[in-house]
Amino acid sequence: MSGQTWADGAAIEPIEASASLVRANGGAGRVLLRAEHVVKHFPIRGGLLGVTTIGAVRAVDDVSFEVRRGETLGLVGESGCGKTTLGKVILRLIPATSGQVYVDDRPLFDLNATQLKEARRDLQVVFQDPYASLNPRMTVGEIVGEGPLVHGLTDKAKREELVRELLAKVGLNQSHIHRYPHEFSGGQRQRIGIARALALNPEFIVCDEPVSALDVSIQSQVLNLLDDLQQELGLTYLFIAHNLAVVEHISDRVGVMYLGKLVELADVDPLYAAPKHPYTVALLSAVPEPDPRRRKKRLVLKGDVPSPAAPPEGCRFNTRCWLREQLGNPERCETEEPVFRDVGAGHLVACHFSEEVTPQAIASAAERQLPVIGA
Amino acid sequence: MALLSVDGLVVRFRTHEGTIHAVNGVSFDLDEGETLGIVGESGCGKSVTSLAIMRLLPKPAGRIEGGSVRFDGQDLLACSEAEMREMRGRDMAMIFQDPMTSLNPVLTIEEQMVETIQAHRKVGNEEARARAIELLTIVGIPEPENRLRAFPHQFSGGMRQRVMIAMALALAPKLLIADEPTTALDVTIQAQVLELLQRLTTETGTAAILITHDLGVVAGMTQRINVMYAGYIVEAAPTAELFAKPSHPYTVGLLHSIPRLDAVQGEELIPIEGAPPDQRRAPVGCPFAPRCAWRLPDCWTTNPPLVPVRAAEAVVTTGPGATHRVACHNSPTPGEAAAGRPLREGFVAAPPPSAVADELAVVVP
Repeated sequence: MSGQTWADGAAIEPIEASASLVRANGGAGRVLLRAEHVVKHFPIRGGLLGVTTIGAVRAVDDVSFEVRRGETLGLVGESGCGKTTLGKVILRLIPATSGQVYVDDRPLFDLNATQLKEARRDLQVVFQDPYASLNPRMTVGEIVGEGPLVHGLTDKAKREELVRELLAKVGLNQSHIHRYPHEFSGGQRQRIGIARALALNPEFIVCDEPVSALDVSIQSQVLNLLDDLQQELGLTYLFIAHNLAVVEHISDRVGVMYLGKLVELADVDPLYAAPKHPYTVALLSAVPEPDPRRRKKRLVLKGDVPSPAAPPEGCRFNTRCWLREQLGNPERCETEEPVFRDVGAGHLVACHFSEEVTPQAIASAAERQLPVIGA
Repeated sequence: MALLSVDGLVVRFRTHEGTIHAVNGVSFDLDEGETLGIVGESGCGKSVTSLAIMRLLPKPAGRIEGGSVRFDGQDLLACSEAEMREMRGRDMAMIFQDPMTSLNPVLTIEEQMVETIQAHRKVGNEEARARAIELLTIVGIPEPENRLRAFPHQFSGGMRQRVMIAMALALAPKLLIADEPTTALDVTIQAQVLELLQRLTTETGTAAILITHDLGVVAGMTQRINVMYAGYIVEAAPTAELFAKPSHPYTVGLLHSIPRLDAVQGEELIPIEGAPPDQRRAPVGCPFAPRCAWRLPDCWTTNPPLVPVRAAEAVVTTGPGATHRVACHNSPTPGEAAAGRPLREGFVAAPPPSAVADELAVVVP
């Protein structure tokens, strides 16, 4: 299904194979959003006039997944893995290179402007930086009320009442409606961002690192708010973050991204308790635990993430993979791109040798590894 | 005698918006070879404390308005700028959060490293260069001979931070201050850099102060921890003791407000209500009182001193047997610390006295 060369943005094979694979995953809640073979390449311009395309940053490279109604799908990965780009592409905030996103079986990428505007009502977003994502020249009332006004859901007269309701819902003082963003702290601004996302009564909200710019004591306030709102309003979240503990706390299912690819996708408990991809294993082992009694043996990955403009051949993780090393560097990892396959109970993994990821293998790799110095 | 001894340090910033009370009387000691963590949120004074020790506060706004800093037998606050420059790099070094802005973008790595070495050692270019190569090898930069010719922008974030570490340790300083050294890095790179720091400080016997907001990072890296809030040390203890018996409501709150990987699924987060105080106001009472679930009426008016948790204990300030101290009128019991909230029958946090209430209405909406 995948594994073709994408560099020229060539036409993508029909989607049946992987779509059915994704559907095999569980199948409980109804699917709200389905991403199929989503690709986003950013061209690298070069040449004398800077107009020739000399390459592409493959930010998102053939990613398929589903989000079910009422669930929170977490998306983790390191910076540059494409998680934020994926979030923007599936909302059509930036155009995809290829692929399709179905929202309630409507192909989002094929909608015309009028249809798109209507569809956007159900699809909202909360951004990472509460300082950059609010217009400093608009009052809170204008910021939160703009969406309903544009969509004709309210008029100027009724807007204030609506905004007051929303402010109360996100735990802000209703009397602050005429204040400007600079008068609020980071946590309060993020609440404003959430109120704005809620204003159109959406079904689906992409939360892109909503707490990572906040202080630790404030993060949990916002996480609890998101949790409460989900229960009260039946919202569906795509929760993008680099903090594994935060994602574990809030998600029902979690996808792990590496260099533009989904490498693992599963329910939160099995993914954290028994990860099947060597990258997920290393990612989890790298998280420092706030408990000095549990000094775990860390599995430290060597080197840096390769450039998404020139990802490694075969499996993209092969240059840093501890498992490949342990298995005596099988050639397959360098030549053949692993299929994103179901290894049981809807646990999807893109690794040729995920069956070899056992607690014993992990322990012996951590034992055996050379100190970082030798990397 | 302790290698570093900070006593009653007060730092204020004079700004257009008034005086910022950044550090309000901080005292702590550090022995040779010890690793101390300073934990707190933005604005708690942890970075300002370390800048004051290095005498690197932004001028003219930042001023040390009280207290003393003794390092290796010298009174740092009485040193001339020339004497300080001699000491920085040679005896005490610092690593900053952002490795991009702390390296000079128009000089090669070689020029920067050789400059650092030659500033303090009378060595020729060849010798300094050889030392630079050796240091890059130690911090795990592949092909160090070639990489010396590179500019900082050609390095990734993790590699830049390794270069910073190599430069900081180039002259085997007695004290290394690392201010959020891994905050800008990805988690797998963070693990690499932390292991490197730990190994190198252990091998060279360098004392280290690790400043961070991440309790996970200090848990594995330090022997002792100072928890700071609004310019005060509110709790100080050996690392294991602090995590086992957190005794300040703020420490308890921090531990309960972060999601953890080892938590039971579905465990509720208990946030700390409100927001950190506005440090333009001179502190009155306990700085944490407005956000504290354990507060008593006294907390609004009297700031509790940092005293031993177990009363009448002699205070040991350094080493693994350092005294667990806390600044709190009403410490959470172990049971309450585990639960994250007061458990006493009918206990209600004391409401603010009317004089404070009006003022607070502005700060805590």
